[in-house]
Amino acid sequence: MKDRRERVDITRVDDELTRRELLRRAALGTIVLVYGSTGAKTAVAGVPKYRHKELAGTLRIIQWSHFVPAYDKWFDDVYVKRWGQANDTEVRVDHVNLAELPSRAASEVAAQRGHDLFQFLSPPAAYEDRVIALNDVVQQVERKVGKIGRVGRKSTYNPRTKKYFGFADNYVPDPVHYRADLWGEVGLRPTSWDNVLRAAPRLKSMGNPVGIGMSNELDSNMALIALLQCFGAYIQNADARITIKSKGTRDALNFMRDLYRRGMTSEVFAWTAASNNDAFLAGRLSLALNAISIARSAEQRNLRFNRDIRILPIPDGPGPRMGLEHVMGVYVIWRFAQNKRAAKKFLVDIGTQYTGHFLNSYFYNFPAFPGSVKNIPARLRRNTTYPNEVPGRYPILDRISKNWTTNVGHPGYSNAAIDEVFNKFIIPQMFARVARGDMTADEAMRAAHREMTPIFRKWRSRKKI
Amino acid sequence: MATRRETLTSWLIITPFAIVLAFPFYWMLMTALRADNDLYDIEQVPFKFNADSPTLNNFRFLFEQTDYRQWLENTALIGGAVVLITLALALPAGYALARLSGGWGQTLGVAIFLTYLVPPTLLFLPLSRVVSELNLHDRLWSLILVYPSFTVPFSIWLLMGFFKTIPPELEDAALVDGASRLTTLVRVVFPLSIPGILTVVIFTFSLVVNEFVYAITFISVTEQKTISAGVPTELIRGDVFYWGALMAATLIPAIPLALLYNVFLNRFIAGFTGGAFR
Amino acid sequence: MATVAAGSHGRRWHDVFEERRFLSPLLIAPAVLFIVLLVGAPLVLAVYLSLTDATAGSLTGEFVGFQNYTDAWHSENFRRALRNTIIFTLVSQAVVLVGAGVLAHALVRDFRGKWFLRFLVILPWATPVALSTVAFLWLFHPLYSVVNWTLTHDVIPGSPAFFPYKAMNWAFAREFWPEWIQISPIEPIDPPQWLGEPNLAMAAIIFAHAWRILPFATVIFIAGLASMPPEIEDAARVDGATGLKKFWYVTLPLQLPIALVALLFGIVFTATDMTVVYILTHGGPFNSTHVLTTWAFDTGINSAALGQGAAISLYLLPALALVAILMLSFARRVEVT
Repeated sequence: MKDRRERVDITRVDDELTRRELLRRAALGTIVLVYGSTGAKTAVAGVPKYRHKELAGTLRIIQWSHFVPAYDKWFDDVYVKRWGQANDTEVRVDHVNLAELPSRAASEVAAQRGHDLFQFLSPPAAYEDRVIALNDVVQQVERKVGKIGRVGRKSTYNPRTKKYFGFADNYVPDPVHYRADLWGEVGLRPTSWDNVLRAAPRLKSMGNPVGIGMSNELDSNMALIALLQCFGAYIQNADARITIKSKGTRDALNFMRDLYRRGMTSEVFAWTAASNNDAFLAGRLSLALNAISIARSAEQRNLRFNRDIRILPIPDGPGPRMGLEHVMGVYVIWRFAQNKRAAKKFLVDIGTQYTGHFLNSYFYNFPAFPGSVKNIPARLRRNTTYPNEVPGRYPILDRISKNWTTNVGHPGYSNAAIDEVFNKFIIPQMFARVARGDMTADEAMRAAHREMTPIFRKWRSRKKI
Repeated sequence: MATRRETLTSWLIITPFAIVLAFPFYWMLMTALRADNDLYDIEQVPFKFNADSPTLNNFRFLFEQTDYRQWLENTALIGGAVVLITLALALPAGYALARLSGGWGQTLGVAIFLTYLVPPTLLFLPLSRVVSELNLHDRLWSLILVYPSFTVPFSIWLLMGFFKTIPPELEDAALVDGASRLTTLVRVVFPLSIPGILTVVIFTFSLVVNEFVYAITFISVTEQKTISAGVPTELIRGDVFYWGALMAATLIPAIPLALLYNVFLNRFIAGFTGGAFR
Repeated sequence: MATVAAGSHGRRWHDVFEERRFLSPLLIAPAVLFIVLLVGAPLVLAVYLSLTDATAGSLTGEFVGFQNYTDAWHSENFRRALRNTIIFTLVSQAVVLVGAGVLAHALVRDFRGKWFLRFLVILPWATPVALSTVAFLWLFHPLYSVVNWTLTHDVIPGSPAFFPYKAMNWAFAREFWPEWIQISPIEPIDPPQWLGEPNLAMAAIIFAHAWRILPFATVIFIAGLASMPPEIEDAARVDGATGLKKFWYVTLPLQLPIALVALLFGIVFTATDMTVVYILTHGGPFNSTHVLTTWAFDTGINSAALGQGAAISLYLLPALALVAILMLSFARRVEVT
């Protein structure tokens, strides 16, 4: 197999260093040499079978370690191999933890070398200049399966530069998980935030507080921004102007403060992305906002209250009922990618036929192009092979994904400024300060506005928003 | 050997420290031996096991379903290579700075030390460019090349201080007897510096094993990761932590390394207190 | 002269080796070259980046002068991060200094069981910091923390019942204490959130730092104590200086250089460390435990504002350099030869 890397002339670098390095390699002995020159092993299992057939090209992909290990297994061992065979390309897939994606991306850009396809889990608007435009890819897919969904489009398109900087293959809806048995004792359902506030004190006294994180992590970010939306408050407007200082924000902040005091415990400030999962699955929490990883974990562990876990859309608030995607898979192709043609073909194929991904992720991955999976409602009603699956729990995901999910940055686009605000956890910080009584709602709003202003200013001056 | 009373006081003083320092490891062991339903049960008394525990499932998971063994090998390999490189660079430099350079040796020593003040969270980007230019990305060699950049300054420092304690009269005596400088170095200085070398070995190895930032950025391929990089990235999938396996993964390198360091410590302290001092 | 004495070898390059002028640079050169290339050059590049508006991993950008530095200073989160870096480093290293000093003294002489105790003491140092921090995450888990369990449950089997949290409340939940010591009463259903309360989180981070540096410093101290020439011990005994007097007048001055070096490295390793805070709290709760390295990382990498991230990282440099130079010159002066 042609290893293109070998062709790069390494003597460009300081001669002294190269020679020294060569000497050192020789001196350190054969074993180390053998180890070092073996090169990267790949995630393509069963390579010996195909070794006799030399595949013409190479495609390197990197993406997160999916919460459902079975999905990665299927993707790595079945899907990409099939695709590779059909397209005469050897595909290598590397996995990295969700938290390490940004540093991985930054170092690949700095190195001007890396993978052909890089999958982010949130729209990487800041990297717009480092990637090629994917407008043609999106158009090709749209011709075959219909328009890209609203969430996908608003997350990967920059209206100012008219460029699709990323290709969204999936997004994950973010429902509410609640314990029907516990809420049943209180006699309410979390269909509105008002209900949540009313039920919370009783639930807490039962030892089962409500769990909405206010910590520097993904779940908290998503839940709180969605909460703002339910109160009619938004970080920016459609023109990318900061609108955080508003009555809706004040109401949301005060609501959260009351909810915290009456129905939550201080652990929510310490949470990692896993904590609400852990707390819910331990039987402690009565409500959490999370992707279906909670429900699936409960099934896998066959918890005693597995059947009591229900899923609902985000509760209704004074504003529109509007939740967010939990994560969104966005592929980019670096400008320096070596096999852009194959990368684009890969994206077109994955965007056109998403059924396998939808099913093998056990409904975690919803297609960004709704037309690429036929008959989602029917599929959601059918049982999968997941152990101890609770039937009837998942059909609601269809309406959640269609009606009550929007992109981060709504009503505007998911631009670089929103991305930075998100990554600096400015929203959780604002909520936490008010909930703990360190600041009033107005003070916290103003502080958040102050933190956001230079961010928006910077990206505006770069003509990106 | 110390008297009874001295032994007792020693134990009295050290035990609280030992408890605080070693308790997390006891806890790791307990966690690693638990079955999942025992681990995630709030009602369970943490210091007892339930019916399904203790179990070796977590260890089995670690070795069968992840590339943990490979990561251990990688880490050991990188550690060994970096130790050798560090010794090769730092021994002569430490000796020279301690012995031959007089006044400006101190200044150079300080300058070398200042390289520590630059956090790797800043350097890793330009360095990843260097690594890719050299075609070393996703290979162990990238780390073997970069790690000495922070092990060498520290080792120079250690060796500098160490060589200062070897009286120059010993070398002068050899020189007067007709040996060349080279012979002096090999025959006289080197044997005396074994404790110093052992020190460098331990410290370098521990610095290498500890390193995190470069390890996760330069290598993305699973089979080429070190334990520092592989464990947090592969045992934490999305929002699910595999706590049992995580604790097992932490425990496994710690115990042999601590034993090793302990053994080395004896040797190099013996070197300090024994040896050809006047 | 040495060259004359080595005349029997006769060859030219040997003479070169003998010349001090050539030998010492020759010995030092490889190390220096290595460091300059792998640290110096990237550092210069980082300084350049901090003066530009580089984003998203790009190694070039437009020159903006010192704007990144001033922008950083105006951010409240940055100032908090700066303050935290100083506090975490100084407090944890103070703890380490005292602890390592005591431990080293006790561990230097031989006694029964020393090997085992020393093994326990070394354990934290033998663990990669990323992994041991994950272990702390588990120890301080909001739900499954064994620390909290021990606090809120009866720890003495049988009677009488002893609940540590009641003892803690009795000792620390009093108006009398200043704010940073005083705790709000611990309730069994709402145990302390080690990573969720700013003060507790800071304590947890300081503890993690001290925990991992303590063995390292202890080993250095032991080496220092062990290398004390025995004649001094004898001289001290002859002069009648024992116990505390010996410590103050003899041991301490001799150990000062090495203690300073250990302290200095401890300070540097703690101040430039990103792993502990990043894994334990990621700067939370609500950005109150960020240190410069984590804030720089969140800014430069996670938020892709690279130039700013570089500027934030570099804030640390002059301060540390100053500390280093001061301590090193002090150590040199105090050195007893």
